[in-house]
Amino acid sequence: MLTLTKDRALALALLLIVAVMWVESGDIRPPTSWQPYGSALFPRILLVVIGVLSLMILVRSLLVKVPERVGAQQLIKEWFQSRHTIVALFLLFGLYAALLPLVGYITATIGFLVASLALLMGTNTRRKWIINLTLSFTLTLVIFVVFRYGLNVWLP
Amino acid sequence: MTNFFLQALAEVGTPSVLGLIVIGVLFGIIGGSIPGFTVTMAILVVFPFTFAMDPVSGVSLMVGVFVGGYSGGIVSGVMLGIPGTPSSITTVYDGYPMAQKGEPGRALGIGVAASFLGTLISVAVLVFFGPLIASFSMNFRPWEITALIVFALTLVAGLSSGALLKGLMAAALGLLITTVGYDRNSNLRFDFGLPALGSGFEILPVMIGIFAFSQLLGNIEKLKDEKTDAKKIDTNVTIPYGQILKDMRGQKLNTLRSSLIGSLVGALPGTGGTVANFLSYDQAKKFSRRPEEFGTGTPSGIVASEASNSAVAGGAFVPTLALGIPGDLPMAIMMGVLILHGITPGPMMFEQNPVLVGAIYASLLIGAVVMVLCNLLLVRWFAKISLIPQQILVPIVLMLCAIGAYALNNNLFDIWVLFIFGVIGYLLWKAEVPLTPLILGVVLGDNLERQLFRALELNESWLTFLTRPLSALFLSLAVASILFSLYQDRKIQRLRNAAQRENV
Repeated sequence: MLTLTKDRALALALLLIVAVMWVESGDIRPPTSWQPYGSALFPRILLVVIGVLSLMILVRSLLVKVPERVGAQQLIKEWFQSRHTIVALFLLFGLYAALLPLVGYITATIGFLVASLALLMGTNTRRKWIINLTLSFTLTLVIFVVFRYGLNVWLP
Repeated sequence: MTNFFLQALAEVGTPSVLGLIVIGVLFGIIGGSIPGFTVTMAILVVFPFTFAMDPVSGVSLMVGVFVGGYSGGIVSGVMLGIPGTPSSITTVYDGYPMAQKGEPGRALGIGVAASFLGTLISVAVLVFFGPLIASFSMNFRPWEITALIVFALTLVAGLSSGALLKGLMAAALGLLITTVGYDRNSNLRFDFGLPALGSGFEILPVMIGIFAFSQLLGNIEKLKDEKTDAKKIDTNVTIPYGQILKDMRGQKLNTLRSSLIGSLVGALPGTGGTVANFLSYDQAKKFSRRPEEFGTGTPSGIVASEASNSAVAGGAFVPTLALGIPGDLPMAIMMGVLILHGITPGPMMFEQNPVLVGAIYASLLIGAVVMVLCNLLLVRWFAKISLIPQQILVPIVLMLCAIGAYALNNNLFDIWVLFIFGVIGYLLWKAEVPLTPLILGVVLGDNLERQLFRALELNESWLTFLTRPLSALFLSLAVASILFSLYQDRKIQRLRNAAQRENV
């Protein structure tokens, strides 16, 4: 069975995107007498370029011998285990984006900063908690004041 | 020219704009001095604060960050032995050994003086060549502009360190991102039934998402992998002014050569401070009477490194202002600032917005003076700030990115755009796809499509691109840059294979 490498995964993902976008480009209004080239031509040229380059990356990656490894599922599991901080940080950011309109800037930002600083710095000493809370509260309020009163930008 | 420059100087000389330049320089130095933060990240963080400003204030603030950022790398380079930005790698070669010999103040002083002179010389290059190139490019018609954009993209993709296919693919992907939403004929494309996609993606959240997430999370990954202990450093630095003056007197030619290399490299698309840094250090060593002293703490090494990377700031403005084509990431963001304020960079800018062009010149000059004062007076504080760990910086910068994306249009959808492109940028970075061509594609996409179809509407034959001399020249250069990159890729591959065989 073929081993999934970075290049192969990239090429396959891009080919999938190209296929989806090509189908979607069928919904774009067709050319008319006053728009002879139509709006789909430019993106289709780019899709062909990306498709050809992805195929070249795929073929090149298949020509390189790689040691047979465990399956893709195992590989993803291993990555999640070694990079759980990164995954957690992405999740926290997603949660932050979702909570901003619901609870407002101040609560959501304090929550995001406290949680992500705790995740990255750790919570094993009192000093770390003091740094975490001081930074989270002061920065949130300083940014709020600068945007709201200094730059007249309303935050949610 | 003198008139609009004086008018610009009057606008930049107001206390509020001067204050913004000082803030920009300070933030730039801080950003440049923190290892792993980079000048680009500093610019991205400051960008949202310019939304509510008038163009001159916004541009002056950003120019301040540029000038400070390119000089900031010297602090951590000398004090910690870690380059604050990739463009100050060679500063470490001689700055750190000099500091280790008990002369950190001398190393910092020489670096700051070289940065100052490098910036001044690059401004002279910008003032001289900017209008010349702009005036020449006024003759460009849609065919030439299309070919020039294609050339710039292939050049940047080709310079992506042995990853030509991925670089070209990234550039095309960047261009594709700009096709989402209503096009020039008001036809809807790739909205996937989501009304929010109708207006397309804003450049800013896409750029921040792709660059900031990959950079910040990459830093976190490196921390996990390396687990280095925090260095304890002595931040008690005294600057020996007399010694520095003596050192700099013997570095006139080196300063001039390094600054010109920096300006020239800065003006070429896809190169930037890192290339300038290495090239100028190498040249200084070759021209030196005592090349064996390089790497042991010689003033010549610090001057070559710092004069060249600071000179990139002025040089990089040349293609951005004169042609509307940014050469590197910081300039792509700078172009975003100008577009945001309703100004289209390009040859017309010199005619339509001469005061703004003058404001950029003036801000660069004032920024250089402020940079010297800040570096010499506050070096202890910068050294302390450069020790701020990534674990603290990353969440704060992510939060600022989110607020910046929102503040652009007061639109929460832009935070989701930031997040989605953050995930995409991180995955592409993991797959070793160069991100600079992608971001340049995003910045240049709209203009490329507009110019391409304007050319075809004027003359429906695609062959016109090859029959017009300048357009044909740019397209030939694009092909040549691809062929040269292929040759380089093969050479790198051969060297790698040889190294592997030797190891076996």
